[in-house]
Amino acid sequence: MVVSILGSQIIGIIPLGDIVFYMTSFNLFMFAAALAFTFIIAISKTETQVEAEFGSLGDREIKVAKKEFKFRRFLAIICGLATAGAMVTGDIFDFTLFVCLIGIVNIGIVGAVKQIDVLDSAFQYGLIAMIASTPLFVGASLILAATGTISILAINSLTYTTPMMLFGSILLFLGVAGETGVAPFFATKAEMFRTPGSPFLLIIHLSSLLVIVRVIEILLIINKPF
Amino acid sequence: MKSIGRIWNSLANPDRIPRLYALVLGIVLIAGFLIPIGLNDHQLYPRPEPQLQINAQDPLAPYDRGGVTFEQRGIVKAQYPQYLPAIGEITAYLSPIAMGVSGTTLYYGTSIYSSPGGLIDEILYYTRGFDTVLESSILMMAFVIASFIALNFTMRRDD
Amino acid sequence: MILVPDVVSPVVVAIYSPAVFVGIIVALIGLFGISIEKNDLQVLILTDIVGVAMLIIVAAVGTDLAESLVLPGLVVELAEILAICEILMSREMRKTGKSVALIPTPLNFDMEVLQTAPVFIAVILVIYGAFLSGFTGGAIAGGGILFYVMSLTVRGVPSDLWEGIAGASGIAWCLWITGFLVLFVFPSYWLLGLMLAAFGVFIKVAFKAGLIGVMNREEFRKE
Repeated sequence: MVVSILGSQIIGIIPLGDIVFYMTSFNLFMFAAALAFTFIIAISKTETQVEAEFGSLGDREIKVAKKEFKFRRFLAIICGLATAGAMVTGDIFDFTLFVCLIGIVNIGIVGAVKQIDVLDSAFQYGLIAMIASTPLFVGASLILAATGTISILAINSLTYTTPMMLFGSILLFLGVAGETGVAPFFATKAEMFRTPGSPFLLIIHLSSLLVIVRVIEILLIINKPF
Repeated sequence: MKSIGRIWNSLANPDRIPRLYALVLGIVLIAGFLIPIGLNDHQLYPRPEPQLQINAQDPLAPYDRGGVTFEQRGIVKAQYPQYLPAIGEITAYLSPIAMGVSGTTLYYGTSIYSSPGGLIDEILYYTRGFDTVLESSILMMAFVIASFIALNFTMRRDD
Repeated sequence: MILVPDVVSPVVVAIYSPAVFVGIIVALIGLFGISIEKNDLQVLILTDIVGVAMLIIVAAVGTDLAESLVLPGLVVELAEILAICEILMSREMRKTGKSVALIPTPLNFDMEVLQTAPVFIAVILVIYGAFLSGFTGGAIAGGGILFYVMSLTVRGVPSDLWEGIAGASGIAWCLWITGFLVLFVFPSYWLLGLMLAAFGVFIKVAFKAGLIGVMNREEFRKE
């Protein structure tokens, strides 16, 4: 049994059959951060945007209706939990499913708005998320084919790296980049924030940040550059 | 310098992003033709040679992994058998109806084996059960989003 | 006869790389289409081709594990296309300012089978689905519910009916989670866990299909 991964000690594991969640001090911290932020979002109220009106001194308030507020809060909580899960999972295929869940919930948080521009960028983001599920699963399956396992703990104890594993991990990274919308694919995501509804929109940012950090950790474990 | 700025500006248009992503992904996938690709033959959950069980007239082919219901466990080569105390039980389980039907036909396995029970259920519900939890959550979230938009905007049922 | 061999059979190993190449070619066709197509609806349909490429490459591994990994991949594709279609419709309706029917031309089927058979066919499909259980059974039983609801002549109650069916579907999902927990916390009661999981998924999938039937009913019966 491995006791250290990327130089940090494994504090504990949660076995759910073949899918083993493991904790090191690094990903335990990210797990706690995701959960704490989810809790703050769950108890907070939404913001109100104020727009100045042309030709008069009046302001116009854009509020979020109660029903829409509840719907968004629900999706934001699911997004936070999925992010927390993606931090500690020890199985590559399980990780890709967590990322897909984050992607679809992100679309939903902005899907119920009334602005056409925002809906348009939500649609474009949805298209990328759909295309991105292909490199995600293909990357995971190429790693499975090359190594014979998709458990991160088992891959950590392998001694070899093949070009096929590198190719699989590039695809995995490209898939995560598409699902979370990092540069240069950020434009759709940036447009989606032009709608009232913070702080629920912030969980979209936090989830992509944490998932990118986590996928880099996984790629280092698979390819062992050091 | 001006042209670089124009490229960055064109990236800010959401309509172009899926096309850009498709292009980048296509270029990376072409690299797949140049890389030596081969299957490592030491895999988890291996299955017998194609058509072997069918040619042997096994009624549960191609999903027969051995075992007798409640008596003997089936063979499942999981990653962590030490965390799976009941491994192989679900593979060996046949519901009473499934036993009856499998006695009468040689092609029972080609329908759905013996759900609930059987090999696919062992992997989906037990050894890799959390995948199925996530998968059904993804389906549920998609349905929540689609039905919320449909009920409140596109169909306006409450009006 | 060896039930489970130690290594993957050489036949599967031999066809692995051709299968991956086929998958990559299919993906390239879909991606090329996406990069030149202008119509949003066409792009949405083309992304499905890319999803098929993913299924080919996952299935090429050819173990029991790969077979069970194909199912989540398929469901993710279906789920995303469901949500994104609805967003596309919502956007188009806001852009044009008029509401659009689900089915553009009125479909008024005056068929004998819609008046006499729905109950019978629905009951048969639900019973057969219950026998199969799991995802497949859910789809079949859901087909029965869908057919029954669509052929009903009553109109105008869907909001309540919708929430009722959706609530039952949510409870079934909890049943399935309970089954999953039973399998891990009390492994000696694996049969109970298996039954909870199988029938939870069965009810959930069946009611989802039923909900689609409720959604479509008014359009289907429109004069």
